[in-house]
Amino acid sequence: MTVVRDGVRIVDGASVSVSPASILTIQGASGSGKSTMLRAIATLIPMSEGTILFEGREVHELGITEYRRRVAYVPQLPAMFEGDVAENLRAGPRFRGAVLGRAEVIALIERVGLDADLLGREASELSGGERLRVALARALANEPRVLLLDEPTAALDPAAANVVLDLVLTLAESGTAILAVTHSVEHAARLGGTRYRMTSGVLSVGEASP
Amino acid sequence: MTYVEIPLWRLAIAVLLVGVAVLLSRLSRLALEKDLGLGAIRAAVQLIAIGYALRLLFAAEHPVAVFAVLAAMWVVAAWTSSRRAKHGPPSRVLFPYALAAIGVGAFVALVPVFVFVMPPRPWFEARYVIPIGGMMLSSAMNVVAQIFERLFASSRAEAATLEQYLALGATPEQAFAPYVKAALRAALIPTINGLVTVGLVSLPGMMTGQILSGTAPEQAVRYQLVVMYQLVAVAAVAGVLASTFARRLVFTRDAQLR
Repeated sequence: MTVVRDGVRIVDGASVSVSPASILTIQGASGSGKSTMLRAIATLIPMSEGTILFEGREVHELGITEYRRRVAYVPQLPAMFEGDVAENLRAGPRFRGAVLGRAEVIALIERVGLDADLLGREASELSGGERLRVALARALANEPRVLLLDEPTAALDPAAANVVLDLVLTLAESGTAILAVTHSVEHAARLGGTRYRMTSGVLSVGEASP
Repeated sequence: MTYVEIPLWRLAIAVLLVGVAVLLSRLSRLALEKDLGLGAIRAAVQLIAIGYALRLLFAAEHPVAVFAVLAAMWVVAAWTSSRRAKHGPPSRVLFPYALAAIGVGAFVALVPVFVFVMPPRPWFEARYVIPIGGMMLSSAMNVVAQIFERLFASSRAEAATLEQYLALGATPEQAFAPYVKAALRAALIPTINGLVTVGLVSLPGMMTGQILSGTAPEQAVRYQLVVMYQLVAVAAVAGVLASTFARRLVFTRDAQLR
């Protein structure tokens, strides 16, 4: 895929593929185009050239909202919706007309290592680490096959970052395909899997030099 | 008709009232003297001009003339409301949408009323069509301007939230719904407040004017009621259309934020 903005090739002919239960990390300096690429894969910004295939089907054939349910995107600083944590977790299913029961919501929050007591808290009052995990749980509510993570640990302290990294590893083990973008060599190494690096919009296989 | 005529020299006495406001502005250092003065002059020029224009129009009683005036008011209303939005697309992009929202809103309110409720004779009689048409167009203009302003501002301020909704599989309609609802409520509330308080807090201008010029109060009241019900329809129709257009301008066909 290629993404051109104002005449600049921000992503230049990059190509990746992820399979179930695997992790792929893209490492690169800020401004290298890795977040733009992730947002394009999430179909949140248009591509200038290229195609996205999900299980062999083109995005538009699948339907863009359907694709987004299966390919979840979690930004570095996820916006919390108005209302409590439980309402946040119910948002995705609600868009397709489904209502999550209490038990399902509790299962979701526990899956990201948070306490069920948090469900009644106003989402806007959460700390950065809690927000990220609630955003993960919110994405998981749609039962996605692929998880796109944009700098999942960048805004977190080391302890919270560790919790999130462990969680991502567990999700991959349970069958979710993970595509994570990070500028941290250390965190990319912790996640393991296939490692790419991005330099000025060009993607290449291998680790970035620290 | 029985009413007290106002010669120009008596009108000049009324200007002193603006002088009171200018004086207070100076004493309280509001720095509004220039705006007040210019406003008073503009109001006088515009209204005196429209007074004579209406006189010509009433004398001509020609459908083309009546509809040309309505069309001019419609265009000015659309232009004004498309210029108000600070955050949205440029006014030349908004203008056709404003034109459509205001036009349909006014049409829905005007046609049934002129056909069934107060049919003018002849059907294009300027004395009815112009003032009532003008009220509908200006109300639609305000609603459309408000909806555009609010929705484009929300799409900017809430971009991160909107994008998260989209990423969770929301359609643009679903993602935008809370903002549309809030904007429509805000746009409709003044009209509803008007319905609720009319006669208690305010005697509306049109009714007052009709009573001053000698219309029987019970008839003046009926005219006012018709106009207020029309205003409700205008606000609802123009508001819903403007928010639909705003949504199309905020999202791409691929459900991405522009």
